[in-house]
Amino acid sequence: MTGYDFSHMKVLVADDSRHIRSLVKTFLSGFGVESVTQADDAAAAFVAFQEEDPDLVITDWNMPPTSGLDLVDQIRNDPDSPNPYVPIIMLTGFTELYRVRMARDTGVSTFLAKPVSAASLYKRLCAMVDDKRAFVRVGRFFGPDRRMAKRSADFAGPERRRA
Amino acid sequence: MADKTGKDGQNRPLRNSADKSGDDSAAPAKARTMHPPRHLSDRVPKSGGPTPESAILAALNSAEELIEGYQGWAVDDLEDLWRAFQDAADKKAGPADIRQMFDIAHEIRGQGGTFGFPLITAISDSLCKYLDQRKEMAARAGEVVRVHILAMKAVFRQELKGDQGALGRELPKLLAHLRDRADMGGG
Repeated sequence: MTGYDFSHMKVLVADDSRHIRSLVKTFLSGFGVESVTQADDAAAAFVAFQEEDPDLVITDWNMPPTSGLDLVDQIRNDPDSPNPYVPIIMLTGFTELYRVRMARDTGVSTFLAKPVSAASLYKRLCAMVDDKRAFVRVGRFFGPDRRMAKRSADFAGPERRRA
Repeated sequence: MADKTGKDGQNRPLRNSADKSGDDSAAPAKARTMHPPRHLSDRVPKSGGPTPESAILAALNSAEELIEGYQGWAVDDLEDLWRAFQDAADKKAGPADIRQMFDIAHEIRGQGGTFGFPLITAISDSLCKYLDQRKEMAARAGEVVRVHILAMKAVFRQELKGDQGALGRELPKLLAHLRDRADMGGG
């Protein structure tokens, strides 16, 4: 029995901590990912994103003076973004509910709380491969459908979003 | 609102005019659904790679050296935090000083457990909770910060790796009690 083959996936890792970047890169290499680009702030990450056109972005939130949310917004909405639909994992120590909602409402695909482990990162990568959500533009929001597939299918209340 | 096909042929989603003006106060916006032109699963076959167990084991083996080296450089981060604390304690610390301490503590929070020291994450998490949104630091608040930093130094000095059982379970409660008492006292 074999598992997911990540060898052809290109990943961009943005984190201001070089130690965390190194660890995530090392984990990814262990999973078989051969192409990992690193950046230490949102501006450098967007440049790398344009140059490398990665298949997946993993970004920290707090990268003073920039923010991972800036990067997410730019990837999703900048006319010069090469792939506004790229899956984005927000890897952060911010785990308060309001922050999770803020990240989701900026267009993050999923959230991975620090401390990160090899197992938790592997699980998130697999979830991203399996994530077949459509993207939605509504009001100011553009990003993966924020409703989980099963729950939204079951929901028939008066506030169900018109699609 | 209309999608525009970009020069690379993608169905590129543009903001509509309401987005640009910031006027979204009208009736609930109608959602427009779009499907990504390419998907991660196109690049990642579900078979052909190592099993999950062997992939995770390979990752852990590769990271062993990095994880072993954590304590060496984490002590430098802790010294940065201590210096920021002392600078703040020497003057009437304002939001920028507190934010600097928060940023360092936040980094330590993310790294501790990641590199095998969950007690460091527990203590720095408590410190982040205390500093988050705080506007000023009175003497009692300074004492709370000092206790947190000294606790982290003790964890490193005694090399308390792992969750440490009962200590790991009780520590967050003790620190929460410390924070609550300081705030009740006007710190």
